[in-house]
Amino acid sequence: MLKVVDVCKRVEGHGEVRILLQNDEVLSVNLEFEIYRGFENFLIGKNLFDIPKIISRICGLCYASQTIASCKTIEDIYNIEVSEHNILLRRLLMSAELIKSHSMNFFFQTLPDLLTIFNLSQKTFSPYELIKYYPQLTTSLYDLIKVGNEINELFGGRSVHLISLVPGGVIYSPSRKSITLARKYFQKALVILEWIIEKFIQLFANQTPPKEFDLPKFISLALTNYGNYDRYSGSLRFKENNKNFIEFEKQNYSTYFGKEINLRGIDFYFENEKNVIVGPFSRFNIVENYGIDEIPTYLDYFNKSWKNNILFTNFIRLLEMYIESYQGLQILDNPSLNIREKLPSLNSIKNLDGIGVIEAPRGVLIHHYHLNKSNYVDRINLFIATEFNLSLINDMITKYAQELFERTGDINLVKKKIQMIIRAFDPCISCATH
Amino acid sequence: MKPRFILISLTSCTGCISTLMSLDIFPQFLERTRIIYFPFISDAKDIKECEIALVEGCVSEETQIILLRKVRRHAKKVFALGTCACFGGILSLSNSKIAEPLSNYIEVDGIIPGCPPPSKLFGNSVIRLVENKDITLSEKNMCANCPIWEKMEINFQINITKINPNPEEISLNEENSECFLKKGILCLGPITRDGCEHKCIKMGLPCEGCMGPVSKDFTSNVINFLSLIELSQELKDYTGIFYRFSKPKMKR
Ligand code: SF4
Ligand code: SF4
Repeated sequence: MLKVVDVCKRVEGHGEVRILLQNDEVLSVNLEFEIYRGFENFLIGKNLFDIPKIISRICGLCYASQTIASCKTIEDIYNIEVSEHNILLRRLLMSAELIKSHSMNFFFQTLPDLLTIFNLSQKTFSPYELIKYYPQLTTSLYDLIKVGNEINELFGGRSVHLISLVPGGVIYSPSRKSITLARKYFQKALVILEWIIEKFIQLFANQTPPKEFDLPKFISLALTNYGNYDRYSGSLRFKENNKNFIEFEKQNYSTYFGKEINLRGIDFYFENEKNVIVGPFSRFNIVENYGIDEIPTYLDYFNKSWKNNILFTNFIRLLEMYIESYQGLQILDNPSLNIREKLPSLNSIKNLDGIGVIEAPRGVLIHHYHLNKSNYVDRINLFIATEFNLSLINDMITKYAQELFERTGDINLVKKKIQMIIRAFDPCISCATH
Repeated sequence: MKPRFILISLTSCTGCISTLMSLDIFPQFLERTRIIYFPFISDAKDIKECEIALVEGCVSEETQIILLRKVRRHAKKVFALGTCACFGGILSLSNSKIAEPLSNYIEVDGIIPGCPPPSKLFGNSVIRLVENKDITLSEKNMCANCPIWEKMEINFQINITKINPNPEEISLNEENSECFLKKGILCLGPITRDGCEHKCIKMGLPCEGCMGPVSKDFTSNVINFLSLIELSQELKDYTGIFYRFSKPKMKR
């Protein structure tokens, strides 16, 4: 048996593809992570209020999601409801995170791949060639990244590992000046996004995406507020194709899936083996209402061949940035934002178990902490988006590698192509190697 | 000729590199340099000769030592990017993993500290490197320019019982005129390098020391400081302070 290993390029973090070959046949292909940091272990015994700050350091791209999921978990332990004002601030910080994360992904990962896949360019871009390829696009995407950064700075105190997020709410009562500034940023984002979305439609809507990016049978999982697009509150929903769905509250998650601490991967308790997908594509399958008229119109430009193809995620990410810039403006106009209030006091522990759920940019994120009788954290379980997607990714890359290798016998081509599939999922390896 | 750069991450959250990539000046950085190896955004496969290598993350695996030494051999200068690379970083909290700074294995030509490094400092430092200049860091501690200091005095008699204020006690900088240490809350400002513009303090939270020490070894600084003040027993036993961003140097 021969093992071919290749380090993933242009993904966030350290990942490897391991291809097993036997008698000129591909046996299996796996996306693997070589490093495991063990946050679930070393957070045991830590001061509860210290955990959100530490846990932010799991990921430099999903920092706000990780910290907010952690705060929600602690609030569940104290049985505290967070006020409207604080929820609005959290939503703003999440939107800024999403805009930054999606636009960086679009520029450095998606764009070069789309150009190759659709034969718009045959070469591999160096970073320098990439910024020179379409200067107006570079500037526009950098403006979007800045929107994310600046709003995180204004309301979070720092652009990464936000300082203002604490159990009970968000420190800071925004000044008038920062609200005006933030409004300008979101308005600018909307203009840029309209332009990029229209470009994307022009270039790709009439094309048929290659079938190796088609998704095999899967079940979508996402947070939704009665079918509305909502990444902060709601309940979890499973949906298979266009059929019925199962909706459940966070405290019942263990009916459907679970995870051995210190082992990677999530086990689903379905009758048959089925792959689950989370993230923008899954949100697209589950959300029934975006609350913005333009969205269904934009979606209609694309024919059926796109709607079951993972490359469509690239378009969904653009739409999500649009939706959240729009929602950001609504939040800034909400009178509850300006209420100056003290954060609630968290002094008596009500539950020994706490669960916090959120939709991170890359999908469902669940934190589950357990306390022992002396109120010490003795068990921490983190369910991370990329872990949910892992079996689907491995299935797709294995099938495609088998077919491509049989057809061409070219292992380098296999390595190159399966990395494109992996990148289309935008895995967050930092999070997955918590 | 454009200076050639290598950018790699070891064990990290990728927050330092993604901060760099998100800076306004990043497209300009790409224009003014030649990227030799930068797996995050480039398909280039080989580590080759370069003027400057920026390394994010701590050393936690044997294989990284080999990689790091290879980078050192190919780079004229190596800089540690962020607190993980400079001092070990957040993984120092782990009992089972090692989390070592680059300098335990290779000679380092300079550091850009912070978790992540503050944007201004980061941007300026990177531009200086592109221009073949040295990085300059403040030699002062956080207290020197602290926005809530009225008088430079630490009252060592006060019993320090908390590492964070309770949420309801948090008050913003402008309403907050008293040093955290006077209120019994541990702030690592006295031993932490200035340069972040007092980000946490302005938010009403004490400094957790992410910029690292002004001088000497990280943990010995923390231990010296903590031995000067009255720390409650609970805090004395709490590893979340001593090993927040660094472990004492170990022999391997
Ligand atoms: S120093 Fe902080 S931001 Fe940088 S890689 Fe380490 S944990 Fe992430
Ligand atoms: S106040 Fe301290 S912990 Fe906060 S960013 Fe500055 S150096 Fe880091």
